[in-house]
Amino acid sequence: MIKTHMPYLRFRLCLLLFAVAAAVGSAGCAHAPSPPVQPWQREHLAKRALRFDADPLEDHFRQHWLGAREGADLGFGQPGGGCGCN
Amino acid sequence: MLGGGITRAEDRVTIRGAYYREPSTRVIQPVVEISKDLPDGFDVDARYLVDTITSASAAAGTAVDSIFTEVRNEVGLRVGKNWERTRATLAYKYSAESDYWSHTFVGSLARRFWGDTATVAASGGVSLDAVGFRARTPPCLVGGSASCPLDVVFGGLAYTQVLSPVAIAQINLDSAYLSGFLGNPYRTAPGTGYEVLPDGRLRSAVSVRAAYYFPRAETGVQFQYRIYWDFDPGSGPNPWGISAHTFEGRVYRRLTRDLEVRLLYRQYFQNHAGLWCDVVSNPGCSAMDDLNLPYMTTDPKLGPLRTEYPEVKLSWDAEALRPYRFFRWFAAGAFEISYGRYYQNDSFGNAHVLQTGYSMPY
Repeated sequence: MIKTHMPYLRFRLCLLLFAVAAAVGSAGCAHAPSPPVQPWQREHLAKRALRFDADPLEDHFRQHWLGAREGADLGFGQPGGGCGCN
Repeated sequence: MLGGGITRAEDRVTIRGAYYREPSTRVIQPVVEISKDLPDGFDVDARYLVDTITSASAAAGTAVDSIFTEVRNEVGLRVGKNWERTRATLAYKYSAESDYWSHTFVGSLARRFWGDTATVAASGGVSLDAVGFRARTPPCLVGGSASCPLDVVFGGLAYTQVLSPVAIAQINLDSAYLSGFLGNPYRTAPGTGYEVLPDGRLRSAVSVRAAYYFPRAETGVQFQYRIYWDFDPGSGPNPWGISAHTFEGRVYRRLTRDLEVRLLYRQYFQNHAGLWCDVVSNPGCSAMDDLNLPYMTTDPKLGPLRTEYPEVKLSWDAEALRPYRFFRWFAAGAFEISYGRYYQNDSFGNAHVLQTGYSMPY
């Protein structure tokens, strides 16, 4: 008798665990802090001073010659090199 | 637009020129890049550049002190796809010169969350290079091949967070594993003839960046710091052992409605690699004899090094050209010009760096 009920009990246990997890998750989301910037506060974020990728061609050239003159590389994107300037 | 994270292309053409001059090396590099938005969230950009390098430097790698000119051609193509909060890109780059060829493939994936104020980006790629040789047959040339391979596998993670309407920060972790011929084919070293380097090098760097904007003063500041280290994962004693620190500060200031100035100062420190020989103070040096390793190089960039780079850059939105008949064609774009002085405490000497460019939507 107990054996025949085991799958059903397992199913109910899983359902219960899922419900608890969903409740905890929902509560967590409900209390997640709001984003630090709202969409109407983004006026300055497009300015060059607040963009790390404003000048990709300039960055490409810098990585190229600094990679040929300094022992370090990386840190700001893909590595330099790819040339016989070693 | 979220700074440093997930920007996409637009219909734009950019031309740039760069001039680098140090006592014994000159580089002239014109570049043209075209980017285009496509339907269904796709975009594409293509780039072509030419490097013309004129050098008369033994330190730069020539066996004799004679002037030579080398031309390098590079083409790059990148395709991007945007979803609501996700951007994926695939890129390919081919570079060719008379004794060096390189194919690079890169993929990246970035996703915004937390009200589009945070971005996580991952990128990875592989570079398959071939190093050619003139008047020399190194051991890596086997089976009648004309070049030695150099393979690079790299990957990186970046997290960017908008902190306030005027502040943003980013942290990057990058790593690259190089295997194959890592030296300069023509650089000599005392005792061994040519420099001898390991076949493997694992390079890693962690960097942080932060930016802040003062709206009333129309001024922005950026700060960057990077720590770098490397080693050879295939051997016990570490023949590389370079660690380096890089600091960089930038100030952006709007001078008029159309004109912005950027001041930049960068400082870089590194210790020397274990396999580096100081042939000036120790002509008979054998860097790693006491560890019974055959490696040796005289490469100045692997020695103890400190560099400084101050630069000034002007960016001008060319709207003021609109009333003039011919020049109105350029009014929608922006011009920029920069000059920097690169100070190096090694045998390469100090350099002048001049860059100029024009970018226009179409």
